[in-house]
Amino acid sequence: MTRIGTVALNTFREAVRDRVLYNLVFFALVMMAAAILVGQISIGIEQIVIVSLGLSAISIIGLLISVFIGVGLVSKEIDKRTLYALLAKPLRRWEFILGKFAGLVLTLTVNTAAMAAGLFLALFYVKRSLEQADTVVLIAVYFILLKLALVVALAMLFSCFTTPLLAILFTAGLYIAGLFVHEMRGLQGGLIDPMLGRLLRWISYLLPNFENFDVMGAAAHGRVIPGALIAQNTAYAVVYCAIVLAVAMAIFSQRNLK
Amino acid sequence: MSSKNYIALFLFVLLGFAGVWRLQERIDVQQSEVAREDDQLMLRSSKLVKGLSLEYAPLVADIYWTRVVQYFGNKQAENQVDLRLLWPLLDVTSVLDPQLMPVYHFGSTFLSDASPRGAGRPDLAVELLERGLRANPDEWRLYYDLGFVYYFDMKDYAKASAALYEGSKNPKAFIWMKAMAAKIATEGNSTETSNFLWQDVYNTTKDPLVKQNALRHLQLLRAEDDRKQIDVLADEYQKRFGRRPVRMSELVQSGLLRREPVDALGYPYILSEAGRAELNLKTPLRDKWIKAPGSK
Repeated sequence: MTRIGTVALNTFREAVRDRVLYNLVFFALVMMAAAILVGQISIGIEQIVIVSLGLSAISIIGLLISVFIGVGLVSKEIDKRTLYALLAKPLRRWEFILGKFAGLVLTLTVNTAAMAAGLFLALFYVKRSLEQADTVVLIAVYFILLKLALVVALAMLFSCFTTPLLAILFTAGLYIAGLFVHEMRGLQGGLIDPMLGRLLRWISYLLPNFENFDVMGAAAHGRVIPGALIAQNTAYAVVYCAIVLAVAMAIFSQRNLK
Repeated sequence: MSSKNYIALFLFVLLGFAGVWRLQERIDVQQSEVAREDDQLMLRSSKLVKGLSLEYAPLVADIYWTRVVQYFGNKQAENQVDLRLLWPLLDVTSVLDPQLMPVYHFGSTFLSDASPRGAGRPDLAVELLERGLRANPDEWRLYYDLGFVYYFDMKDYAKASAALYEGSKNPKAFIWMKAMAAKIATEGNSTETSNFLWQDVYNTTKDPLVKQNALRHLQLLRAEDDRKQIDVLADEYQKRFGRRPVRMSELVQSGLLRREPVDALGYPYILSEAGRAELNLKTPLRDKWIKAPGSK
């Protein structure tokens, strides 16, 4: 456990050294501009625009970090040959994978928390107050973080057995497919062949369903999100990440690093 | 990795996906409470969506069109009549890709069909088709669709005739469009014309849903024709016996009918208390029945 923690902490430090958190400046500028402008160019939708824009920015920035850094976590260590020094120490390969995953999730948590704080500041500037109903925005941010953890796991899985470019393409492809799971299931209404409908239904349950984590509409309109959904989405992300990481660890354990 | 480990991994993945499946079913229930239909279309400004789509607007239009079909199909499957997102979705789709013909052809049908078959907004169907014609002036089929909407849904026979005539000028147009334009201009509404138009849709379409819709309209037109003929026989019965028949068997016993007539689905017609022919209460055609079955 200590070894996994050490790898995780070093991954976080490396991300900070690589100036990954500089994206926060960009996010702050977007939120400040939106907060100042939106009140002047629109009527009645200031809060909706701030929340939608803020959550979208958190999601997009987080996705870029998850995919590009997630893919590089393993491949960079191999390219720079630092992995050999690491594995010469009493560190198992699966511990390395888990540590790297935990490190990037920690980076994303810090990054997302900072952006969420910025979003709430902008919201406060626009509304001049914060209400209890605004906690729904916090839940939406938490769902984005769960989504990002799943993306990191997928990026790491692909980077364990293919080139970084292909890993990026596979991760992005799976993410996009995971956004259309509902449509895939909805295609069964007599519009397509029943066999194909059943096959698509099976696939829709196996694909990572990223729609689960999309509550932007509810957050923007201040609708309540049931506690059960929070628990179920958390469980979904944990179980799915565990499956993906287990497969990633198995592949990485078998990989010939000579 | 030993074979034991492989089996353990396989079992772990299998059990994991079983757990994911169960969780997903529960999440779907919760999500249905949180999600609102309006979330499907947070951006209603077609120009803004087009701007955000960059050079990928045609691809985004394809995705939007898929959404239109799913939205309409799901509403039909669930027998819901509230189709208020249909027009905004079609509006965005047609702006994103003005050359996407199915949007105009099927979209105008979805919009113009009377509730519960469609949105009951032929005015918006006309707007959509006119937009299509501005972007695609050589598409004679859009004139055909426009004539269809004017004829069946708006009962504006002069405009229906004008649209068909305009379309018939295209050398690729159906050869009968000019004759039909003249016929509608002279006669206005007629069962014969309605039958011809729906039969043409039935014969030419490759889409099974459109074919089924056309067949249902043809069945309804036949039912309307049958009802008129039964009413004529009931009038004759009244002349002979001094009262209206209240059962179809009375018409058979009097020799006016050889046997009890049935609709296209095999359900016998019935007579109302006033002695007028009606569709059987059990026939599925009754669900689709709208006062003027000739309507689209």
